[in-house]
Amino acid sequence: MKRFLRIIIRLVLIIGGFLFIFNLPSLLGIGRDHVVFNFETFWGFMKSDFQSLLQIKDAAYLSFFKQLDIAESYHYSMTILFISLIFIIFMGMVFSVLIMLAPQKLRNILKSGINFFEAVPDLLVIFLFQFFVIMLYKETGIKFLQLYGVFGAKPYFVPIMTVSFLPLFLLIQFLIKVMTDEQSQQYVLYAKAKGIGRLRTLLIHIMRNIFPLSVLQLRTIVWVLLSNIYLVEYLFNINGFTQQFFKIISMGGDFASLVVCLLMFSIPLLVIEAAGWTISKLIRGKEHVTI
Amino acid sequence: MKKYKITIIASSLLLLLLLISIFYPAYGPKDYNHQVLVKNEQGKIIGRAPFPPSEDHILGTNRNGEDMHWLLLYGAKFTLISTFGVAILRVLIGGLLGIFLSIWAPFLKSYVKDFFLPFRYIPLILIGIILMIPIVGNFNDVAISSIVTYQIIILVFIGVPSVTIFASDVTDELLKTSFVQSSILMGAGKFHLIRRQLLPYLLSYSVLFTVQQLISTLHITMQLGLFGMFLGGRNRAGIFGLDDPDKPPPTPATITNEWAGLIGQNFREFLLAPWTIFSPVIGFFIVIALVNMIKKELEENMNGLQVVKKMKKVSKAESKTFVKQGSFELVRKL
Repeated sequence: MKRFLRIIIRLVLIIGGFLFIFNLPSLLGIGRDHVVFNFETFWGFMKSDFQSLLQIKDAAYLSFFKQLDIAESYHYSMTILFISLIFIIFMGMVFSVLIMLAPQKLRNILKSGINFFEAVPDLLVIFLFQFFVIMLYKETGIKFLQLYGVFGAKPYFVPIMTVSFLPLFLLIQFLIKVMTDEQSQQYVLYAKAKGIGRLRTLLIHIMRNIFPLSVLQLRTIVWVLLSNIYLVEYLFNINGFTQQFFKIISMGGDFASLVVCLLMFSIPLLVIEAAGWTISKLIRGKEHVTI
Repeated sequence: MKKYKITIIASSLLLLLLLISIFYPAYGPKDYNHQVLVKNEQGKIIGRAPFPPSEDHILGTNRNGEDMHWLLLYGAKFTLISTFGVAILRVLIGGLLGIFLSIWAPFLKSYVKDFFLPFRYIPLILIGIILMIPIVGNFNDVAISSIVTYQIIILVFIGVPSVTIFASDVTDELLKTSFVQSSILMGAGKFHLIRRQLLPYLLSYSVLFTVQQLISTLHITMQLGLFGMFLGGRNRAGIFGLDDPDKPPPTPATITNEWAGLIGQNFREFLLAPWTIFSPVIGFFIVIALVNMIKKELEENMNGLQVVKKMKKVSKAESKTFVKQGSFELVRKL
C-alpha cells in the first residue's frame, strides 16, 4: 500500500514538473521595465494544460500532432542516431585499442590530442564540416555529398559524420581511461606472465571487464548525439524530427502534443538506460551466485 | 601557488579580454568602421560588403559593413559577464538548495528528482527554446533590462536542478565522513556543522562547479543564439540589404552584439561570408578552451581531497564486479 501511494505521488510530481517547467513563461510576465509575476494566469494555464493532457477521448486530442508527418521524420532522425551510434562504437573500439597498443611516447601525444577535442564546441565542428563540403563542391564542381535537406532530400552521409565526430572522441577518451585503469589489475599481469599477447589480453580479457561500464557511458554518448542531431537538422535545413518540434512550438500546438513530442525525443535515452540497468542487474545477479 | 599556474594565466587572459571590451568606447570606432560600399578614385563602386578578411579588415566585415573584430571586442563583455553571472547564480542557488535538501529534508530528495525529471531526459537547449520563445522570439518594445532579467532567470533556472542534485550528493558524501559523524555524536548543531565541517570543503567544490557551469552556460547561450534567442532581445534595425521595408518582419539582429547573437544573426549567410560565422564561433572556442583548462587543473588539484577519492573509489568498486578481490591470496607472502 505504501509503495502504491509512493508511485502515485511520484507520478503526480512528474506531471506537475512538466506543467510547471513549461508554463514558466506565463508566470514571469514582462512589464514595461521589470519582470512581473502573475500567478493567476500561470494557474489558469496550468489547469488548462492539465485538462488538455487528460482529454484522451476527445477527437481533437493530439489533432495537431497527427497533422505532422511524424512517422517518416522520426524514422529518419532515429536512423541517423542509430547509424552514428554503431559507427561511434565500432570506431571508438578500433581507435582506443590502436592507441593502447602504440608505444608509450606516441600514446601520450595521441592522448593529449584527444583531450584537446573536449573543449571544441559542437557548432564549430558543424560549421567546419559545412565549410568543407561547400569548398569541395566549389573546387570540383561535382556534388559528391548532399548537404542541405531542400526539396525533401534526406542526406545521410554528411549529417552522420558531423554528428558523430565529437562523441567519437568522447568515447575514445573514456575507453582509454578505463583501459589504463584496468591494466594495473593483477589478472593482466598474470596474462602477461603466461605469455598471452597484448592484443589478445586487450580484446578478450580487458574488453570483457570494461563492457558494463561502457554501456553506462553510452547514455552520455546518446545524449550528446541527440543534441547534435537537433543542431545539424536545424542548420542543414533537413526535414527531420526537429522541424516537427519547431512546428509545434511556433504554430501553437497544444500542450499534449508538445509533451508527446518531447517524450519521443527521449525514447533513445530510455532504451539505453534500460539496457544499462538490465546489464548491471545481470552482472550483480551473477556475482550473487558466485558468492 | 605553483599548483594553480594555468588557472592564474587563463583567468587573467579572460579578465584582460573583459577589460579591453569594457573600455571599448575609449579607443574603438563607434560605428565599427561602418563601410558598405568601396569606391575607387573616379567614384566608381568597386565592391560592397561583406568584405573578406584582408589587411583593412582583419576578420572581414559583415553585411552591414562593420568590422568583425571591432564587433567581437565590443560584444565580448556582454557574453562574458552574462555567462559568468549565470554560472555563479546557478551554483549559489543550487548549492544552497542542495545543502538544505541534504541536511534538513533528506526525505524530499527523491521527490525533487522526480519533479525535475524533464531535465534528465530533454536536452537543455530544447527547454531553453521553449521557455524563451514567448518573450524573445519576437520583436517587442519593452525595455531591454526586463528582457535581459527574464533571460537570466531562465538561464539560471535551467541549470539549477542539476547543481542542486549534485551539491546534495556531495553533502551526503561529506556527512558520511568520520569527522562529521563524530562531530554529530558530540552534539554539534546543524548550523555549526555547516559552518565548521562542510563549508571548507563545499567552498572549494563550488569553485569547480562554477567553472563547469560556466562551460555549460557558454554552450547554451551559443546554441540559443543560433536559434535567434539573442541576449537582450532582437533589434529592429536589421541587416542592410536583407530587409525589405515593405515586408514587415525584419531579419532579426542582435542589439548588444554579443557573440552568440553575432552567430545567430549571420549564419544564414554562411555561403556568402563564412568569416562572419567563424570569427565568433572561434572566439567562443578560445574562451571555452581557456575555461576548460582551468577546470582540468582544478579537478586535478581536487583529486587530493579525501572525499573525491572516496567517491571515485565507490564508483570503481561498483564497476569491478567480474574480478572478485580477496578470493586469492599468496601462500607465501613476501
